[in-house]
Amino acid sequence: MKQPPQKKDGPPVASSIAASERIGVDRSVEKERKKDLPPPRKQFDDESRGGRAKRRSVLNQPEARNRVELFRHLPPHKNGTQLPSLESKFFELHEKHPAVYKVGLQYLAGDLSGGNARCIAMLQAFQEAIRDYSTPPEKTLTRDLTSKIGGFVSFLIECRPLSMSMGNAIRFLKSRIARLPLTLSESEAKTTLCSDIDRFINEKIVLADKVILRHAATKIRDGDVLLTYGSSCVVEMILLYAHELGKQFRVVVVDSHPMLEGQKLLRRLVVKGLSCTYTQLNAISYVMHKVTRVFLGASSIFSNGTVYSTVGTASVAMVAHAFRVPVLVCCEAYKFHERVQLDSICFNELGDPDAISKVPGRVDVNYLDNLTDKQKENLELLNLKYDATPSDYISVIVTDYGMIPPTSVPVIVREYRKEYLLI
Amino acid sequence: MWWRSASFILDRQQHQNRTVAPSPESFLLSSPPPMADSPLNPKSNISAYYQTRAAHHAVVTTDWLAQAQAAVGRHSDDDGSLGGDKGAARIGGGGGGEEEGSGKAFSVIDEFNSWRKQPALAEAVAAIRALAAVIRTSGAATMMELEIELKKASDSLKSWDTTSISLTAGCDLFMLYVTRTSALEYEDFNSAKSRLIERAEKFGEISCKARRIIAMLSQDFFFDGCTILVHGFSRVVLEVLKTAAENKKHFRVLCTEGRPDRTGLRFSNELAKLDVPVKLLIDSAVAYTMDEVDVVLFGADGVVESGGIINMMGTFQIALVAHSMNKPVYVAAESYKFARHYPLDQKDMSPARRPIDFGVPIPSKVEVETSARDYTPPQYLTLLFTDLGVLTPSVISDELIQLYL
Repeated sequence: MKQPPQKKDGPPVASSIAASERIGVDRSVEKERKKDLPPPRKQFDDESRGGRAKRRSVLNQPEARNRVELFRHLPPHKNGTQLPSLESKFFELHEKHPAVYKVGLQYLAGDLSGGNARCIAMLQAFQEAIRDYSTPPEKTLTRDLTSKIGGFVSFLIECRPLSMSMGNAIRFLKSRIARLPLTLSESEAKTTLCSDIDRFINEKIVLADKVILRHAATKIRDGDVLLTYGSSCVVEMILLYAHELGKQFRVVVVDSHPMLEGQKLLRRLVVKGLSCTYTQLNAISYVMHKVTRVFLGASSIFSNGTVYSTVGTASVAMVAHAFRVPVLVCCEAYKFHERVQLDSICFNELGDPDAISKVPGRVDVNYLDNLTDKQKENLELLNLKYDATPSDYISVIVTDYGMIPPTSVPVIVREYRKEYLLI
Repeated sequence: MWWRSASFILDRQQHQNRTVAPSPESFLLSSPPPMADSPLNPKSNISAYYQTRAAHHAVVTTDWLAQAQAAVGRHSDDDGSLGGDKGAARIGGGGGGEEEGSGKAFSVIDEFNSWRKQPALAEAVAAIRALAAVIRTSGAATMMELEIELKKASDSLKSWDTTSISLTAGCDLFMLYVTRTSALEYEDFNSAKSRLIERAEKFGEISCKARRIIAMLSQDFFFDGCTILVHGFSRVVLEVLKTAAENKKHFRVLCTEGRPDRTGLRFSNELAKLDVPVKLLIDSAVAYTMDEVDVVLFGADGVVESGGIINMMGTFQIALVAHSMNKPVYVAAESYKFARHYPLDQKDMSPARRPIDFGVPIPSKVEVETSARDYTPPQYLTLLFTDLGVLTPSVISDELIQLYL
């Protein structure tokens, strides 16, 4: 029943984007291009994918049944049933540093969510691991540490696929390690790396958020009705900051199953005294006519201006566009990525399929509980975590470099990517 | 004020209960008093920038003269400053300058005003000349001190007229140049100072050259026998059309009347001098004549980060009509007009008002929309002709990032 994953000829690198453009190109030109292009990502169903990773995997995940055909290239969701057994393994000897192990388990359990939180937790765990690290004899610090970090990263990927922010942070860390001058002693190198990580977190996340707050608050006027979707830490900070400045506005929090992240945001806003309205995604076109601004967060923004964010964001942006309401996406610049993505299918993350077959707290509508096993074979459940919003629906992106139109994302990537990789 | 749903009444009730708003009248009259009540209301509502433009380019009307007379009478005891009058009468909106005196004999505001009154000079150039005058008369002994003085002068200029985008942009550009120059510490102070002054002088030439470059670049976009629609009085657009006429291109121009400044009348005057066939339209006739139009050409008061433009009221309307009828819309603007604003909608800019004279008395209960400018989003613009080249609207942000960051 398993069909061969690749349906086109050419080098055996399956449905990645870079491969499709190489077909029909000269061999020599191809070789040139192969050097320049970053190696294409191996998709989950690619047979040539390293068996090494499988052998080293800590989590033994059985192949989930009934996965949707179109999304077979994405790794299946790791549910939390393994959690107790993994927690008991915490003090056993294995090459994962306990801090990294702990962060991985937090990802698996879903305790840590949100691009910034995950990135900061991961970097702080790496800091601890670097502090406790000592170079084995006969090995250089840079190479050994890089491979160790690589090991940590593959463990974290198994727990939960990396977000773009984490990917950029890891690239930063690896380039810093590679650029360490060879004359440094081990302790000096370790302190340099730790302070670099601190500076990254401080400049790219903490201070960047402060700058974004100032810019975004200028776009909130008295009497505004602001809509936000899900729970983004930057948007929450903006709303609280504007409230502290004394602006009078109302907030509409839009939420969706199964994550119901908006409820957490709602609680935090109401506690501070903002007047809020709460609704679900299906009511979006009903409330949109009273909304004056839409504030959204993003997990990443690609080079063609596409915003990659929590699933449902695209719907909110499109409805806002239809009602001619300006959409402001607030995102730090370290989350920008050179990749270009045209749809939400080729790269995404799968969530727990069983979560969408139940409505919590409502026994009467859980119709799917009574299906027999034979009937369940016909049902495929799909729970996507992210979606891609095309740039036409975004009015402005608020970053720490100011307010830019979506077409200027590659400019920021071009001008400043070199800068932060080299600092 | 007017919400989009029927619950606005409830909303306003809640709002009024929350704030201590003393509005005894009924709901419909709780708006700010209409502009027709207070024509001479300096500093709070009237945009000095648009007043000046009206003075330069519009037809002189009787009530403008009356305002000018009144203004001259009020400000005759102004502090004697270097800037002084250059023979032209002050307009009511320009009276805010005296507040900035603060004991100094030299006031940058007055200097700026005097430069600005010359019709051929662009706003940004006037600002930079005023700042150059600050450098000349400053008593600073180090670069740091000079920078601080300049920053103060530039801030006071910007806050004096918040509605003029090219003024803000010109000040920012000059300050950027100053801070970059002051980073070169190895020079002695006097030569650095003279270099700054020289640069400021050169800026004036750059501005004239900019207009010529734009005129040259835009020639390819007009073919023989084309019909061009223009709106507002832009010196750059005039230069473009002059150059086209000199190159013996055959074209004709449709000119909108441009209420309330009647810029169209003045513009058509200028074009008639060049022997270019001109046809005047009232503002409402734009959609009617859009079929005959091949190209729409605007100037810009400011070009914003999104790639859109801020220009005289009516520009957005014409751009919308042209876009829906698939006519190309071109904008001719110098690069110093690029500003780091990002309006999200029409009301997102600081308001720039100018009193409108309808010629007949209006009852006081009637509100008048007195905004002098509107914002045209980038999707309605085809190309921008600038001295940096012919650009698409999305490149503006690229240029701004390279310039300012």
